[in-house]
Amino acid sequence: MSEEGPQVKIREATKDNVDFILSNVDLSLANSLRRIMIAEIPTLAIDSVEIETNTSVLADEFISHRLGLIPLQSKDIDQLVYCRDCYCEDHCDRCSVVLTLQAVGESESTTNVYAKDLQIVSDLGGKNIGHPIIQDKEANGILVCKLRKGQELRLKCVAKKGISKEHAKWSPAAAIEFEYDPWNKLKHTDYWFEQDATSEWPHSKNCEFEDPLNDDDVFDYSAKPNIFYINVESVGSITSDQVVIRGIKTLQDKVADILFSLKKMDQDKVAFGGPTSENAPMEVDHDPYSGTNGQYNEYNDNTNTAYDDAW
Amino acid sequence: MLKSEHSHTNHTKDDTFEQLLKPVYKGKKLTDEINTAEDKWNLLPAFLKVKGLVKQHLDSFNYFVDVDLKKIIKANEMVLSDVDPEFYLKYVDIRVGQRSNSSRIDMLPPHECRLRDMTYSAPIYVDIEYTRGRLIVLHKDVEIGKMPIMLRSNKCILNGASEETMAKLNECPLDPGGYFIVNGTEKVILVQEQLSKNRIIVEADEKKSIVQASVTSSTHERKSKTYVVTKNEKIYLKHNSISEEVPIVIVLKACGVVSDLEIMQLVCGNNSSYQDIFAINFEEASKMNIYTQQQALEYIGTKVKTIRRQKLTILQEGIEAIATTVIAHLTVEALDFREKALYIAIMTRRVVMAIQNCKMVDDRDYVGNKRLELAGQLMSLLFEDLFKKFNNDFKASIDKVLKKPNRAEMYDALLSINVHSNNITSGLNRAISTGNWSLKRFKMERAGVTHVLSRLSYISALGMMTRISSQFEKSRKVSGPRALQPSQFGMLCTSDTPEGEACGLVKNLALMTHITTDDEEEPIKRLCYLLGVEDIGLIDSASLHDNYGVYLNGTIIGTARYPTKFVHQFRILRRTGKISEFISIYTNIHQNAVHIVTDGGRICRPLIIVKNGKSMVASSHLKRLLDGKLQFDDFLKLGLVEYLDVNEENDSFIALYEKDIHEGITHLEIEPFTVLGAVAGLIPYPHHNQSPRNTYQCAMGKQAIGAIAYNQFKRIDTLLYLMIYPQQPMVKTKTIELIDYDKLPAGQNATVAVMSYSGYDIEDALVLNKSSIDRGFGRCETRKKTTTILKRYPNHTQDIIGGMRVDENGEPIWQHKSLGPDGLGEVGMKVESGQIYINKSVPTNASDSVLTQSQSQYREAPIIYRAPEPSHIDQVMMSVSDNDQALIKVLLRQNRRPELGDKFSSRHGQKGVCGIIVQQEDMPFNDQGICPDIIMNPHGFPSRMTVGKMIELVSGKAGVLNGTLEYGTCFGGSKLADMSEILINNGFNYSGKDMLYSGITGECLQAYVFFGPIYYQKLKHMVLDKMHARARGPRAVLTRQPTEGRSRDGGLRLGEMERDCVIAYGASQLLLERLMLSSDAFEVDVCDKCGLMGYSGWCTSCKSAEHVIKITIPYAAKLLFQELLSMNIAPRLMLGDVFQS
Repeated sequence: MSEEGPQVKIREATKDNVDFILSNVDLSLANSLRRIMIAEIPTLAIDSVEIETNTSVLADEFISHRLGLIPLQSKDIDQLVYCRDCYCEDHCDRCSVVLTLQAVGESESTTNVYAKDLQIVSDLGGKNIGHPIIQDKEANGILVCKLRKGQELRLKCVAKKGISKEHAKWSPAAAIEFEYDPWNKLKHTDYWFEQDATSEWPHSKNCEFEDPLNDDDVFDYSAKPNIFYINVESVGSITSDQVVIRGIKTLQDKVADILFSLKKMDQDKVAFGGPTSENAPMEVDHDPYSGTNGQYNEYNDNTNTAYDDAW
Repeated sequence: MLKSEHSHTNHTKDDTFEQLLKPVYKGKKLTDEINTAEDKWNLLPAFLKVKGLVKQHLDSFNYFVDVDLKKIIKANEMVLSDVDPEFYLKYVDIRVGQRSNSSRIDMLPPHECRLRDMTYSAPIYVDIEYTRGRLIVLHKDVEIGKMPIMLRSNKCILNGASEETMAKLNECPLDPGGYFIVNGTEKVILVQEQLSKNRIIVEADEKKSIVQASVTSSTHERKSKTYVVTKNEKIYLKHNSISEEVPIVIVLKACGVVSDLEIMQLVCGNNSSYQDIFAINFEEASKMNIYTQQQALEYIGTKVKTIRRQKLTILQEGIEAIATTVIAHLTVEALDFREKALYIAIMTRRVVMAIQNCKMVDDRDYVGNKRLELAGQLMSLLFEDLFKKFNNDFKASIDKVLKKPNRAEMYDALLSINVHSNNITSGLNRAISTGNWSLKRFKMERAGVTHVLSRLSYISALGMMTRISSQFEKSRKVSGPRALQPSQFGMLCTSDTPEGEACGLVKNLALMTHITTDDEEEPIKRLCYLLGVEDIGLIDSASLHDNYGVYLNGTIIGTARYPTKFVHQFRILRRTGKISEFISIYTNIHQNAVHIVTDGGRICRPLIIVKNGKSMVASSHLKRLLDGKLQFDDFLKLGLVEYLDVNEENDSFIALYEKDIHEGITHLEIEPFTVLGAVAGLIPYPHHNQSPRNTYQCAMGKQAIGAIAYNQFKRIDTLLYLMIYPQQPMVKTKTIELIDYDKLPAGQNATVAVMSYSGYDIEDALVLNKSSIDRGFGRCETRKKTTTILKRYPNHTQDIIGGMRVDENGEPIWQHKSLGPDGLGEVGMKVESGQIYINKSVPTNASDSVLTQSQSQYREAPIIYRAPEPSHIDQVMMSVSDNDQALIKVLLRQNRRPELGDKFSSRHGQKGVCGIIVQQEDMPFNDQGICPDIIMNPHGFPSRMTVGKMIELVSGKAGVLNGTLEYGTCFGGSKLADMSEILINNGFNYSGKDMLYSGITGECLQAYVFFGPIYYQKLKHMVLDKMHARARGPRAVLTRQPTEGRSRDGGLRLGEMERDCVIAYGASQLLLERLMLSSDAFEVDVCDKCGLMGYSGWCTSCKSAEHVIKITIPYAAKLLFQELLSMNIAPRLMLGDVFQS
């Protein structure tokens, strides 16, 4: 890798946070990474709940919704297949983790039911997966429900693999700080002000990582953002570093998927379409912006290298 | 001397109030320095503790049960027999709820009544004394009926209950009470606004130059109205039961004021301009040769319209008219008409004054001229009517028995008293449950007095308890009664009124108001004389108008030589608690009058007394209040605070803030935000909003879904909406804390970005974040009740619940999937559309007689679930109702997440529907990665001018950053400058604007975006309840056209205007299809020859099949023809060929 390639400078990394500067990349790539970290990294979350007894004050759906939002350990999520892809009828150990929750209000005061009360019953086969994430000092985890004396909660949860596009409970990332151009050199934004923009607008903490705008600087209208200050906070199902790494991987997979499909489409066209009139200009015109067909080719030309790199 | 029983019993501390008083508010602790100017508002929670928001209802009901009932019994105490003169029955005492010897109240708990569709009532016991043969018997504790009990009144078992007992009884401690439970439904008797009774109102019609003074006399027996009017510049007395106007001089002469000089003195005093106006009236009397009292009485006697059994002489009629019908609320003793003469003279004087100066008229809309009728008064009217009827029936049945000549045994009246007790019970129940107050005595027929307590949200229930409905007709288009009266200030909420036809007629009480109950007149009268008022009976007519008149409840009782001194001394007595604090006294300089008012139904509010330019409430008092050593009542007793009604308020100088106090100021406001009521008090920064927006919010706050009560999961209501995760608002108001809205909130703090996004946000539509919805934003639960009664029929058959039907594998069939073996839905099961959740069967032979009893056959009459979305069974209740029939209630629950078209609103009258739901990654975000939950279009702001919403956002944002709840209290609250300071300290722009990045491209947005939390309410209007479409479906029987309405799966009408469009466009085939083919096309056989309709290819009138032709017409047209035929009109169809050129 030369200096031309993307660079990452990690400013801070803890279990829940990773703060880094991503440079030498395009804005679209940085944002794609952000979007993917929010929405498309697969994790594990409770997806269906079979309620045997619920004499608590909360309704079944209410508790089910709360259970769904509990982050579960998803370190080895790769070893789990999506339920829809599995050959089993409903769910099995290959595609899901089954947890049970049994709680009875025994004490005179209210009994709290926490995430720690969830017990894994399915055979994990050594996978580190499905454990409720517990991070508080008392090691209780999230409060699911409160029970009065004599009330009971008995249920079976099936945790499945999924992505946050479908439901936010599968999102591994809480909030992702994202900033570029803290001095607004690119003039992507217009400061709103009453008297004076510089005094009225607070400086970002990332300002110190870039040189301020000098008065004699000439505005470079062709400049593009290429330094991004990103801080990823994880909800705990996947550690923050893994969120970034898996985010990159998911992005690569998606790009690879597109390329693969495009390639396949081209082959199909050659195989079935034959030398039709539609295909004819494709051979001749290599201008990438001339039309869809041209674009396919454009990608095709330099795919092989990128594709191989990705793997 | 008069009122000194101030109970010190409730000085025991109770926890909820303790919390309120400990001002964690504004971060102040008990040890902090107390500043009178800022902390005098602490009187408000103290006031609400003793008075409460619904205290007026409770006080009124308590007064009815404890005092008024006894008065009614006293007034109707004797039941005599026409047959046996020896017989009498006398009511000695009356009690509600408890017997004479025990203090125990035997009542079902209110929640059980709600669940079992029963009435929350207590027995009415009377002690009677009556003759049995020759003996006089005293019988105690005879039950004459049952009285519905107002919740939390002093007869209610919840009275003074601790939070723990409330919980045990399945009651919510925050529930205000003040309503009744009748047949399982909660009913509120709304406060009724009326013009005050027994007061002179002077009005003028300048166009017709008519001046009239009128007084509505209201006594226990009757209601009547007396007028003193001008006609051709002469003054007459008018009354409904006197056939024509009587010249006023004649009336006065009839009252015993015979001398013209005395009449002049009584009416005009020595004011020459009044004398000039009045002088003309003497002419008419002398023309008619009426000089003596006898002549005058006889004159009036001829004019009286009466239907009497015994004929009276004309003179007697005249005496009767003056004594009882004219100004009926003044009682005449020993034919001394002096008092009445004075009253009429004063009415006349007011008319003369108004003629002389047209500004001397009264304003009907002035709040001081209004009285509010509460549950207690209405109940007492109703009870007296029923009690009279009860006594009549009772007397009739006694007479019936006593009439029998040879009775075998001694008659005991006690035996027949119980027979009629059902009349009182059912009469009270019927009136409250239907809302029809029909009183025979007054020939009063009033509908819509009671309403079902709206339990849509806590606020809607609370709002209903403070509502005031006007007697004024809704349909009339006059603005006067609807307009905001300046005298409403502090008494009635300035914002909370509905839009549309009831606008301004339905009002709401402000936060710190109290409605008075009746007080004794007699002791006040004696007090006045002690304070130097000259008795009216001792004043000679000549000097009547020399001094100020002293009026007690509108009737002159004397004159005061030094009115200012008198009023001052009177007030001192009131402030020291020697007389009731609700008695008001004020001077009317224009009328030279001092008015003392003791009657019930006046609105009043407490104010701090200012003496010598200093507020009486000092910081030491407030400190003791906070320590719990003083209570609000103590402030009254110490003379620091007093109640002022509207009239006395107008006689005072009230400073808004302590800094405004100067020479001459008499009172100081406790808190300015109390001009608003409970519902308007939820709005943060309302003083920055355009005023209609606050009014809109008042209507919308009642539709917000939230927590309803602590017992919400125990309730089985017809329809209940609950929010899954309600939050207390980031920007609170003091009112919110006082009414416990923060404990039962209805809404969530949403992070809002004010920007345009996606184009699906036009016309107030909102953009919602899908992840927020996934995480529980705007989620709600609906609970719907179905009630079934298993009826018993006269022939001993009965409805039954069948079990479930199973298929060959032993599995229940699909329809019965959610049923248990008992034929009722199992708790927790899902029911889908078409499935059965109560498998009821009814006997087919229910109408057969008992004798021909065969084996009972049953027909299935199951309750089938029909809805677009499935529900879950939440609760199943089986019980027995009042009449021993099995009662089954099934509660169905649905969990709903927000969807496209669901309605949301902020607290500033800014409503909108969800236009699009966007993935979180597509949402704009700030550099901290915060995404909005809601994107609101900025076009909502300029025209609506809801600046309060903007300040709410800034305060909310500051609160979030600072970790505090900020205040948006009206005329106060957190200052914008302070909030901006917090924003700046946290690295944000002071304006509340943020730089956002596009979620789609990652590029930052060109413009800065107003971004922060705003409290949003989810309103009850949800798409799921409204969506409707139909391809085919049911048709009406008569016309065969598609049915109407969503509930009947009806069609969508192509109305007249739409039809006009299609005609104008010329799309005739479309017209044909919409109006006939898709609706009620019908093939008829028409005879081309006679033009009448036949059938089966046969014309019945021509007796031939030759010319019969099939045509298609709308069934409704065919129906019309047949209906015309039935009334001897023969519509004939002339057919032509379609294809003929």
